[in-house]
Amino acid sequence: MVGGKRRPLKAYSIDTREHEPGIPVHDALTAVEKLILEKKPHAIVLGAFRSEILMASMDLIAKYKIPYICSIAMTPAFQKKIVENYDQYKYMFRNCLNAIYFVKYLQGAMGFLNKEFGFNKAYLIVQDTLWAQATGKGLEKWYKGHGWEVTGFDAYPLGASDFSPSLIKVRAKKAQVVVPIFDMPQSGILLKQARAMKVPALLCGFISPVAPGNAWDVFEGEVEGMVNFLFEIGPIPVKAVPKSVAFNKNFGKRWGEKARVILSGHGPGPSYDSVYIIADAIKRAGTLEPDAIVSALEKTDLTGVVGRIRFAKDHQVVYGFDPKETALGCAFQWRKPGVRIPVFPEVVAESKIELPPYMK
Amino acid sequence: MTTSILVYGLVNSVILALIAMGFSLTFGISGVANFAYGGFYLLSGYLTWMLLNYLGLPFALAMLITVAVAGLLGFLTYWVILLRVRGIALSEVIATFALGAGMLEFFRWMGFVTYEFTLPCFMKGRVEIFGVPLDYQRLFIIGIGLALVIFLYFFTHHTRIGLSFRGIAQNERTAISLGIESDWTAALSLALGSAMAAVAAIAILPLGIISINVGYDVLLIAVAVGIIGGLESVPGILIGSLILGYAQVITGMYLAPEWMMVVYLAAIVLVLAIKPSGLFGKFKELEERV
Repeated sequence: MVGGKRRPLKAYSIDTREHEPGIPVHDALTAVEKLILEKKPHAIVLGAFRSEILMASMDLIAKYKIPYICSIAMTPAFQKKIVENYDQYKYMFRNCLNAIYFVKYLQGAMGFLNKEFGFNKAYLIVQDTLWAQATGKGLEKWYKGHGWEVTGFDAYPLGASDFSPSLIKVRAKKAQVVVPIFDMPQSGILLKQARAMKVPALLCGFISPVAPGNAWDVFEGEVEGMVNFLFEIGPIPVKAVPKSVAFNKNFGKRWGEKARVILSGHGPGPSYDSVYIIADAIKRAGTLEPDAIVSALEKTDLTGVVGRIRFAKDHQVVYGFDPKETALGCAFQWRKPGVRIPVFPEVVAESKIELPPYMK
Repeated sequence: MTTSILVYGLVNSVILALIAMGFSLTFGISGVANFAYGGFYLLSGYLTWMLLNYLGLPFALAMLITVAVAGLLGFLTYWVILLRVRGIALSEVIATFALGAGMLEFFRWMGFVTYEFTLPCFMKGRVEIFGVPLDYQRLFIIGIGLALVIFLYFFTHHTRIGLSFRGIAQNERTAISLGIESDWTAALSLALGSAMAAVAAIAILPLGIISINVGYDVLLIAVAVGIIGGLESVPGILIGSLILGYAQVITGMYLAPEWMMVVYLAAIVLVLAIKPSGLFGKFKELEERV
């Protein structure tokens, strides 16, 4: 009910294809504008995939004044722009993890690796996109202030699939931890190449194709030992957040187990939650007027698949380590016989991070 | 690190040579720059994947079928599309490029864009060469590259079809006057070039994943290697591949990996400016002399 009137929720979608290499920004923006002009939505959820598109679409959203919740693109530049020009960009929110929070999670994991195994040499291999570069640079800064040696930092363009130059350097410089930060489909092959080249280092970071439950089979077991982050809980059931368990169960029932195991490591939880967040805000606003919805969104306090959802002043959902207080991301480790074991943070950990067999 | 550069630079060079050989062969014989080459390469990857995963065929059989289908499609491409524009270089380029882009975008439209599209390695495991670990697949690639060069040499020097290929490549009119059928030879060169694209795809794709942009990259690689070495010259292709292969690995190691792709483009510009026919090519030189 909105302002005493029954308004069933209708969803329309458009694919901007922006996750594929070589798709021009203006193509993606044209798709967004087509959706706005043809379907006249009262709100947009999920939003841009690539940070570059998110940033470019901010003026478009400001022009049409449509409440917008982004659930995938991660650049911190998004929040900066909102804070700097609140009146213009206040319609935009983000409920997925951003690069800053990801760096915090990585710092936690690196702290554990240092304490448990004495590791202090890391090599960063990132995708040449806004969010991945921001994450890499943020972590590099932290490493330098905490006694770690960064033995290398390489960026690969979208679509690249030969990582051997970096892996040769990882071996030569004797890095103990490799931090890959990638969301492109080609990046899964980095693991296979690392195994083929006998790189004696623990991989701990984010490789999107390694996150889903079928990655063990797809990569023929070469993923063993990798510590991969799930930016938000959701694609893996976590007892500390009962809604994530229910989400997995119901998703499997509705779309089949085959579809559930290929849920991506970034986006499913926030995308699902975003519909509830916007519906809740519209209900509380009691109107479809954008400014009223924005005010209601700012007061959001819900428990979703990702934990507790509250927006900070910069319109970013707060992530942390306690799902009763904040939203939550986690890391798991691939272990034999092809299972994902949550290992970080403590609230979800079912085991400690172990060294992969090739490092023992 | 130097040993690693030597070993992986060699592997990278053979990969580039494998990719470029089919393109060069077709151009050397028929004069057609087959810009659908990337499309054939990717089609071969996806076809093998489908034969393995949808029909459950053994890998060896899937490979044979793929190479045969790619060859047949190349053959038909000549008769159905190229015959109508033969001799008009720009139209040939436009027609083949449109065909290749159509093939690639068809797979994009079909949703073949996820990480699940990978081909299995011929054999799992690795060896150490001077302390540098190298997986069997890369060794196979080197072997296949060598085998293909030897095959091409014997094919073009000791078989009737191969000799007719060379005859057409040297002088089409004289070859016709001696009874060599020009269109059939050109169609066969398209078929052989496409089949070689399939061989390259089956050998190389297990190192990465099958994705749409690979098709466009392959075309760029084939053109870059061809321009450096000389489009119609097999020795030129080998030397061009070695130059580019090592230049890329050294760039990735000492400059930054994001510059690796720039190496191709820079090489194209440089060679076109200094020696337009390539290091071993003769086409442009002959043209200039005339």
